[in-house]
Amino acid sequence: MQTGIAAFLHDAAVLYTLADFIEKYCKEQARSQRYTDASGDFFRYSQSVAHEVKERLGHDVDRAGNLPSSRVDTLRRNALTFKNYLRVLHTFIKPVADAHTLSIPAPLVELACEHLRQIQGMSGSRVAVLLTPLLMYFQRPHTHVKQQAETVGRLIPEAEEFPPRLGFIELPYSQGPGFFTNLAIYHEMGHFVYEELSTSTSPIAQFVSLAQATDRSLRRFTKLQKDAQLQRLAEKIIESWTQEVFCDLLALYLVGPAFSFALVEIFALLGSLSREKRVTFSQEHPAPAFRFAEHVEFLRNGCKWWSAIADVKPDQKKLLLEFSEISRRQYTVYEDDVPKALIAPFLDTIVPRIRELVRGIAPDATPAAERFSNERETIEDCLKVGVVPHSRVGGPPDPVSIINTAFCFYLTSLPDIVERFEGTKAAASAEKRSEWTRKLEDWTMKAIEDSQIQSQFERMQRDGPQQERNSRTHT
Amino acid sequence: MVLNRKEILERIRRGKASDNGSLVITPLLYEKEKEKDVFDADSVDLRLGCYFLLPKMLDRPFFSPDKSSATSLHVRVHVPLGQFLVVPAHQTILGATLEFIKLPADVSGQVLTKSSVARTFIVVETAPWIHPQYRGCLTLEIANVSNTPVLLYPGRFICQLILMHTARSSRNRKAGAKRTRNGEEKPDPSYFGPVYPEAPKFNDPQDDLLKIGMTCVSRLKKTQLDWKDEKWSERKSEVEEW
Repeated sequence: MQTGIAAFLHDAAVLYTLADFIEKYCKEQARSQRYTDASGDFFRYSQSVAHEVKERLGHDVDRAGNLPSSRVDTLRRNALTFKNYLRVLHTFIKPVADAHTLSIPAPLVELACEHLRQIQGMSGSRVAVLLTPLLMYFQRPHTHVKQQAETVGRLIPEAEEFPPRLGFIELPYSQGPGFFTNLAIYHEMGHFVYEELSTSTSPIAQFVSLAQATDRSLRRFTKLQKDAQLQRLAEKIIESWTQEVFCDLLALYLVGPAFSFALVEIFALLGSLSREKRVTFSQEHPAPAFRFAEHVEFLRNGCKWWSAIADVKPDQKKLLLEFSEISRRQYTVYEDDVPKALIAPFLDTIVPRIRELVRGIAPDATPAAERFSNERETIEDCLKVGVVPHSRVGGPPDPVSIINTAFCFYLTSLPDIVERFEGTKAAASAEKRSEWTRKLEDWTMKAIEDSQIQSQFERMQRDGPQQERNSRTHT
Repeated sequence: MVLNRKEILERIRRGKASDNGSLVITPLLYEKEKEKDVFDADSVDLRLGCYFLLPKMLDRPFFSPDKSSATSLHVRVHVPLGQFLVVPAHQTILGATLEFIKLPADVSGQVLTKSSVARTFIVVETAPWIHPQYRGCLTLEIANVSNTPVLLYPGRFICQLILMHTARSSRNRKAGAKRTRNGEEKPDPSYFGPVYPEAPKFNDPQDDLLKIGMTCVSRLKKTQLDWKDEKWSERKSEVEEW
């Protein structure tokens, strides 16, 4: 093993190669593909960090020969810090590069970011999308990345600051350009919001109240359970369950029942709706039956969505109702995995606080439900003749109305449209249904994109080009 | 008879999208007081969309229009509003209109290059006819016939749509066309409602020619390169028969 200056030179060369690759790779991606603004910013940032690391290494290597060995060790430690950080960025860069605008539902991602910024305390936020090889949706925690970025920023003040309020969401690559199941990104965005809230230096009142309720529940549990390891596990489990319910409710506030339908589709794809699994709480997730019961509770009593979809009768809605009617006595846990005693305090003490928290930070969902009721007929009329939803009078339809109408149409009327244009035989073909689902998704995404373009155009007409430019800069 | 501005606007404002006589053009970006920005006396100006199909470098020295055409000839590209695409000199690409269109059952359409665009030596469309009841964003063949590369900005006007009244009669239905439950002719499902430029869809030549009784159809085999006398030489293409 080399020591002193020789070792430093060796480390510096290895690190320089890595930084050089990252810099060139990011530059190449930004040139060869199109990305959402958030991903573009992330590439620019990574490229800048890699470039500055190279500059710093060059400078350090030049002066290392004249320094005492203790100072060379310091330079070596700094190089290690840079390496660790580039290693973290390395794990993000490739999945972000895969998620260019042709491989993700870009209009949906942009819309979700717009909704994200409407949440209290989240102005200026956005999310970069990553593609994962797993058939699951995730949010990549970003707090540790930002902490490391700050450390590197202190060592290299010339490096760009980590893009502010940037979150990371992972989509399964197979679901990339689709639409309906990708509504799950609203749930993952919730994890980002939760992480931001929990690391905020001035937490909002409802979040403090939720933390207190969690403490109370855990204290009740620890009185019965003296095992320190089990106590730590309980803390982790409650935290996971809390986040899951928080994210579900936030998604429902932002995008309405279409999110519940999307979740049913995803759970069905993952095989999580079997009789046994639906009532079972795992370490990471509350039981699907409980989650859907919460959805129904919110849609019925938290806003006007349930009455707005009263005459829509997809099987998914029946399933939601069936789940909501399952008695909580039937809820169970995976043996030796989760202490069952956690369920009751979670449901009784913590869940009401989560509802309060979401109500406190999310925009009111009732106006969106009302707009859906008014606009649904027009949107449906377009879809059933294979036309991109639009409005002949007034402004463009609300994107949330478009999403919910299209999802209900997909669940109830897909065979009708296939039969109408391709005949009865085609309506019974899985291939044809899949083909027409893709068409329906394309029309829905085009309608959202058009609605965004039209709103921007109308804003510009109203406020003039300067205002429009400013509003784009601020968001 | 070519539809004038008044008739076009009347069709657009008429009833629902499902109405057989209604015309859909969406999104329509114009100031309500300045209809002339988009609607000329007898045409509608259309904008360039954000998606393109660029010609791919092929791994063989020819292109045979067959079942693989939909994926073998092009590479898809997205250019968001505010950015541009460079069309090299003497190159042709496929784009699409930003507007999604649905023609009424008694109206045919024709797409022409906007004259201002044509004067930059950009030619749009060589197959400009649109049948009644077509719905979708229009795929545009965009050729740069000039000697210099030209920038195309999605969102800018690129072509104009001329609409013509077509007498509705059972006689002028496409041969073999089926009807939907409410009596309208079923549009061709293979080109139904695209929102991106569409690659051509062909059958294999032997399937098409079989319909007129040809059972023996030649095809060109892929040319191969052989290493002979210390240099690569092209082996002559062979013709084989199905």
